Amino acid sequence: MVFILGVNFPERNLVKKSLESFFGIGNNTSSRLLARFHIHPTCKVGELGNKQVLDITAALSDMKIENDLRRKVLENIKRLKETGTYRGRRHALGLPVRGQNTRNQIKNAVKFNRIERRLG
Amino acid sequence: MVSSFCWSCLTRLPTASPRPMLPPTLTAQRVAAFHTSSPLLALPPKKKAPGQQSGPKHRASTTFKMKKRKVTDRVRPPAIGERRALRKRIVLSNPNALEVADMQDISADNMVDSRLRGSILGLPVPMLDQLRAVQAFKPKQGWSIFRRPGTVTRRESLELGRLIDGISDKPEDKGKVVKRIVTGARGSGKTVHLLQAMSMAFTKEWVVVTVPECQDLVLANTSYAPLSDENPNVYVQNQATAALLSRTVTANQKVLSKLKVSREHPALKSPLKRDTTLEALANLGIQDPATAWPIFQALWAELTATSPAPGFEKDFASRPPMLVAVDGLAHWMKETKYRTAKYELIHAHDLVFVQHFLSLLKPGKNQQSALPNGGVLLYATSASNNPGVYSLDVALKRVAARQNRVDPSSPDYPMPTAFSNPDQRVLAAFDSPKSSIPTEGTLELQTIAGVSREEARGFMEYFARSGLLRQQVSEEWVNEKWTLAGGGVIGELEKLGRRLTVPAQV
Repeated sequence: MVFILGVNFPERNLVKKSLESFFGIGNNTSSRLLARFHIHPTCKVGELGNKQVLDITAALSDMKIENDLRRKVLENIKRLKETGTYRGRRHALGLPVRGQNTRNQIKNAVKFNRIERRLG
Repeated sequence: MVSSFCWSCLTRLPTASPRPMLPPTLTAQRVAAFHTSSPLLALPPKKKAPGQQSGPKHRASTTFKMKKRKVTDRVRPPAIGERRALRKRIVLSNPNALEVADMQDISADNMVDSRLRGSILGLPVPMLDQLRAVQAFKPKQGWSIFRRPGTVTRRESLELGRLIDGISDKPEDKGKVVKRIVTGARGSGKTVHLLQAMSMAFTKEWVVVTVPECQDLVLANTSYAPLSDENPNVYVQNQATAALLSRTVTANQKVLSKLKVSREHPALKSPLKRDTTLEALANLGIQDPATAWPIFQALWAELTATSPAPGFEKDFASRPPMLVAVDGLAHWMKETKYRTAKYELIHAHDLVFVQHFLSLLKPGKNQQSALPNGGVLLYATSASNNPGVYSLDVALKRVAARQNRVDPSSPDYPMPTAFSNPDQRVLAAFDSPKSSIPTEGTLELQTIAGVSREEARGFMEYFARSGLLRQQVSEEWVNEKWTLAGGGVIGELEKLGRRLTVPAQV
């Protein structure tokens, strides 16, 4: 088990997959992170050297990911609401924000477009 | 309350009318009933079968429901590496095939014997472990259909045998270096040609260094790191180098265990003992892959040493010639899947491993040939797993043109087409001028084509004698197969030979 940014990953996991488990890191960011520290894409967590683990953790702690990013998204929504924009109002009503029709098929919009949006 | 009936009337009623002689049911039938339908004649109503009821029952749900899939018991996934082992498995023997009685094994005597041309020379059993160690056998080759592995002695292999024999034994060829790029159509036997070279080198006790699959180094499947802080743009692959060391040690253990170090190696972290054998030296790199590259360089310096450094004279033995075999060269001529820190693709020529092997194609430096103790470089391209690099095609045409004495300044010298933007590094890698050292040959291109009809006949007879081919191997039949195989392309001949043909029973 290897700790990366306070999360324990089993050694058999791919480093790339493990990085992508953080909220806010996708394919592009993880590939670039791997390239930055010269880790090959099929590297397993167990194969990482100590220095590489520390490097990755340091790089991740500088990035806006996980709760910071979630908070930022919520703040953005709140700001829209407070400035009284149309998008803010639509968020408050739980309706589609980007001009979609609302006659039917808006279940997802109702689910997502809330002021207190739950981010997974 | 008084009843409305007159009891006396009722009591008299039966006596008033005579009693009917017949039972009432029968009489009722004869009398026309008031209704036209007669319920008594009607057949009893059929009971509905329970399955025939259509439509949902009262108040049942009308929505469509998917049937739940049965949850099957999950079988255990295969263990780690099991599937790969199965995929890469090499079977060298088929106990059902017949033993070919007078098949000779390859040896120092018969590898130069031109009378054996067209016959099959078996690989000696003790050598199989060495050949397996250098990964000379490939999984898709048809070794598993014969009783024991053997190769056809063809014109090219006899010529190679004479070359290897000359470099090892003849004083006039001592220290000679032959550099060859082996190309040819798919199935023409390039990889088996390398295998034959390895088997000959093992019989002559050479040191054999191989890269069995160039692609493995560029697929970004092994670890990589910048070589040092001074050269951040050159990358070292420690795991791959350790694997190379391990291949070399396992295959050449007999030779390497006799040789001792002949100089100091300041690049290594810990100083070596004076009586360290080269086997022990290489094992250091296998045990600690982080030091694999400096160890490989030290090993290479030892193997190419012609004389000992001062103070090391006591244990010095002259180094044997070397065979360097590389298969699938085209993968080293383009960008790899590795990325730099800036997320740009790394060119294969920036990998220090690749650089080392490609630099051998160039004339040697410091008044020494690339292999000062002599040897053969065989770099084969692949036709079945070929990435298609235009610059390589041009470079190989240029090598062929130089071999035919076309001057690079003449208009016949192959040039890349306009706007094709060729990779200059690839062109430069094969642009090796004539060496100033007389023993060092220039880079040659060897194109392996189909086997001759006589060799094809020998090969097909081997099938027949192994019991795989139940057919009269006649001149005419061999000629037919030779033509069908695209002019004796040996991979196609093998396909024709292994197809089970049973003559019709009359």
